Amino acid sequence: MRWEVFKQDAPGKPHQAVGSVHGFDAEHALLNARHVFGRRPSAVSVWVVPADKVFSRTAEELAGFDDGSARAGGPAAEGGGQRLFHVFRKASHRRSMTFADHVLDVEAAGHDAALAGALARLEGEPAVAWWVVAADDVARSDPAEARSWFEPARDKTYKQQSAYGTVSPRRERAARP
Amino acid sequence: MTVQPAAPTLAEGVRVALIARLTAMGDDELLLGHRDSEWTGHGPLLEEDIALANLAQDEIGHAVLWYGLRQALDGSVPDDLAFRRDPEDFRSCLLVELPRGDWAFTMLRQFLFDCYEAEALPRLARSSYAPLAEAAAKALREELFHLRHAGLWVQRLGLGTEESRSRAVAALERLWPELGGLLTPLPGDLLLAAERALPDWDTLTAATVGRARQALAAASLDPGHDPEVPEASGREVASPHRVELLATMQSVARSDPEAVAW
Repeated sequence: MRWEVFKQDAPGKPHQAVGSVHGFDAEHALLNARHVFGRRPSAVSVWVVPADKVFSRTAEELAGFDDGSARAGGPAAEGGGQRLFHVFRKASHRRSMTFADHVLDVEAAGHDAALAGALARLEGEPAVAWWVVAADDVARSDPAEARSWFEPARDKTYKQQSAYGTVSPRRERAARP
Repeated sequence: MTVQPAAPTLAEGVRVALIARLTAMGDDELLLGHRDSEWTGHGPLLEEDIALANLAQDEIGHAVLWYGLRQALDGSVPDDLAFRRDPEDFRSCLLVELPRGDWAFTMLRQFLFDCYEAEALPRLARSSYAPLAEAAAKALREELFHLRHAGLWVQRLGLGTEESRSRAVAALERLWPELGGLLTPLPGDLLLAAERALPDWDTLTAATVGRARQALAAASLDPGHDPEVPEASGREVASPHRVELLATMQSVARSDPEAVAW
């Protein structure tokens, strides 16, 4: 089973979608998220959500349907009643490491209604994609265990992949004998 | 490996006993770390591959801490202790020396060792020997997460499938008696406990066994009666597993004794 991972780098910063892990249940996924993502750079909190419980829409999808039909839907048939949803926004394609950031929480009857609510509140904000997850689908690291989970990573050195640069076709041609 | 500052002045008997205890602690961590590192590229999931590499690094990092404390007492160089010492001069216990076995064996071993560390490190963090207290507090931070990881696996192996359960039972049968070897006091430990440099070893042993039993019970695993803590630790004897492990671990360093870096 695949889980999406959301990581918070420092207190006050938003949780960001950083990638995914395998896990046979929520606790296993959470521990794997810490092992894989907890140290580059260090974190203060991680969340995991089953990948099939993430409702996503791109800007193109939303623009393509004037009647709003692309907004309809959600991971599962949802019963009545209001639930809390976390809304994430990916603001641009500028850099490869631009993540979807947690931008707001919305009370709504379903994933699609939560997105509609978020779009109404964030009218005109730049966005290339939106993710919506129900708060009760999220497994979260325990703040009481944060010292043990995250602090040791601060003393460990690492490099981001961008530190190694990229090889453009022009450079590759120039290097040919 | 890092150089530690000079140690506080100690009575000669205490100094010698402390060197022996630190050597045993460092050797246990180094060999366990090496066994964990053998999973690199062989983990059951990509994430567990990374997890085991993390654990290995942490345990080897703890070995560096304990060897560093020894260095402050007798000037021995941690790299020499790890890579240029003969098997007969190591003081590791059999629990950490046994081959890595299957995933259940590795997780059960890690779990038993983590139970010991979860009880030992908070007590060592109150040692009257300040450098030991500081190092123990540092190691404890990582150890609690290790226990979460190993504990998660013990529970899922014990309560999982018929196969996972039978593998966990077989692993526990082999490993449980060896917990006694890990917990056996060294001849100098009594003196160190009297100086309050080490905790009371009987209390530590009971707490470790109790903690392990409780978590095993939650995984529906029963190790039977308490492991026998032998009179002598057996750490002086170089087991065939220790010899085999060190032959691999030291092969690069020993292939070029003059080398200063690899």
